[in-house]
Amino acid sequence: MSGYYAIAVKDVSSGLAAWRIWTMLASNDIKQRYRRSTLGQFWLTLSMAIMIFSMGAVYSILFHVEIKAFIPYLAVSLVMWGFISSVINESTNAFIENERIILHTNVAQSTFIYRMICRNGLVLAHNIMIVPIVFVALGIGINANVFWLIPGLLLVALNCFWIAYFIAIVCARYRDVPLIVASVMQIMFFVTPVMFRPSQLGAHAYILLINPLAGFLEVIRDPILGQAPSAASLAICVGLLLFGSLITLAFVGRYGWRIVYWL
Amino acid sequence: MALIDLQNISISLPIYNSRGRGLKHEILRRTIGSNLQHPKDQNITIVRALSDVTLRIKDGDRVGVVGRNGAGKTTLLRVLSRIYPPTAGKIQVVGTVSSMTDLSVGMGPETTGYENIVMRGIMLGLTHRQAAALIPDVEEFTELGEYLELPIRTYSAGMMLRLSFAISTAVRPDIIILDEMISVGDAAFVTKARARISDLIQNASILVLATHDDNLLQEFCQTAIWINYGRVASMGDTETVLAHYHSEIGNT
Repeated sequence: MSGYYAIAVKDVSSGLAAWRIWTMLASNDIKQRYRRSTLGQFWLTLSMAIMIFSMGAVYSILFHVEIKAFIPYLAVSLVMWGFISSVINESTNAFIENERIILHTNVAQSTFIYRMICRNGLVLAHNIMIVPIVFVALGIGINANVFWLIPGLLLVALNCFWIAYFIAIVCARYRDVPLIVASVMQIMFFVTPVMFRPSQLGAHAYILLINPLAGFLEVIRDPILGQAPSAASLAICVGLLLFGSLITLAFVGRYGWRIVYWL
Repeated sequence: MALIDLQNISISLPIYNSRGRGLKHEILRRTIGSNLQHPKDQNITIVRALSDVTLRIKDGDRVGVVGRNGAGKTTLLRVLSRIYPPTAGKIQVVGTVSSMTDLSVGMGPETTGYENIVMRGIMLGLTHRQAAALIPDVEEFTELGEYLELPIRTYSAGMMLRLSFAISTAVRPDIIILDEMISVGDAAFVTKARARISDLIQNASILVLATHDDNLLQEFCQTAIWINYGRVASMGDTETVLAHYHSEIGNT
């Protein structure tokens, strides 16, 4: 058992040491996608902005809330949810899309997970620019609780890492799993408080405790909206990180070496 | 000090068909299991790509690998490059390895020639600064001039090859692994490329070259390995191995 952990830790750390490779590949992913368009990567920002304002207009009426109060919440929610859900969705392809690199060079396998998360981090950096614009336009301020964003983002990124690594390995072997993941993530969008607020569930808000994505979202959304994340959410994030990392590292140590044979 | 040491290496490659790739099938196989099926699972075929390969390549060795298509040459090169972890046996590789089986890994079509020099350099394990330092050498060798400022999707196959070849051969590894000599491009380029690769090989500690070209083997390698059906059929000095290989296989 400890042998598996040793293999996995070596893979994760040598992947981290190859940061030049995955940051280069990740920034190139974004460049390739938008190189030939006039707005370039700011298409990302623009399409997110359009989504926020159109959904804000419709759902503020549906939920009977004032649009001025709803838009900031929705903006932060959608931007952060976009990060979490793309990481999970793209993890299904993390090894498959790198087949050529894996079959021709000897780099640690975790490199490709870092690449995918880094790429989505860059997308997040583009999308998050909408938030200050919305806040300034609507005259909303932030407070010192915004610093909770630092541990929040760290916890979410680390959780994303083990989830993505696990899914990526399973998907390299079983090629119908990506479709399952896509459907599950579609459902998660509606049952996670992205568009609605947890308080709207009233006494039934406890059902969010069994949805880890609700916890992930809260620790990176609430700080921007001026609230410290709840102790329950932080505990869920830390607990899942420890539990998930133990499972995934063992899994990586046991099955990781086979990935190259599955491509 | 470079060294490659393989002891009783075997590689079993699983080949899946579309059912063997599916999760539903796997769950059925594990739960309801073998009673419902043929005793032998036909959705996964295990191919023994290498069997019991033992060899030792030391500093200064220039080793050729011969064998028919599908005999296991590429698999062996992937083991030596630490891409395929052996399913059985022990492997030890000392020294930096450059596997020149795909010269353009890490390059992107929308980015310019100059950007690609840096990207490919990083992929080969260099820092940004070291990769940027390759630019003058690559400029001179490729003679692409102003084309280097254009996205490489506009390049012809020959131009693309010049660029990827020039970058990949600009770094100096201890161990070079080559799958077939690079042989595309016009005559002038082939001569130039030959000179460059000879220089690279002379500076490397170990060369492993898989090829179907006897002249190349005789020129670059003193020893050769003949791989047949995943096993080492013959090993020794190039002339003997080639003679043995051709007497068994014919001259095709």
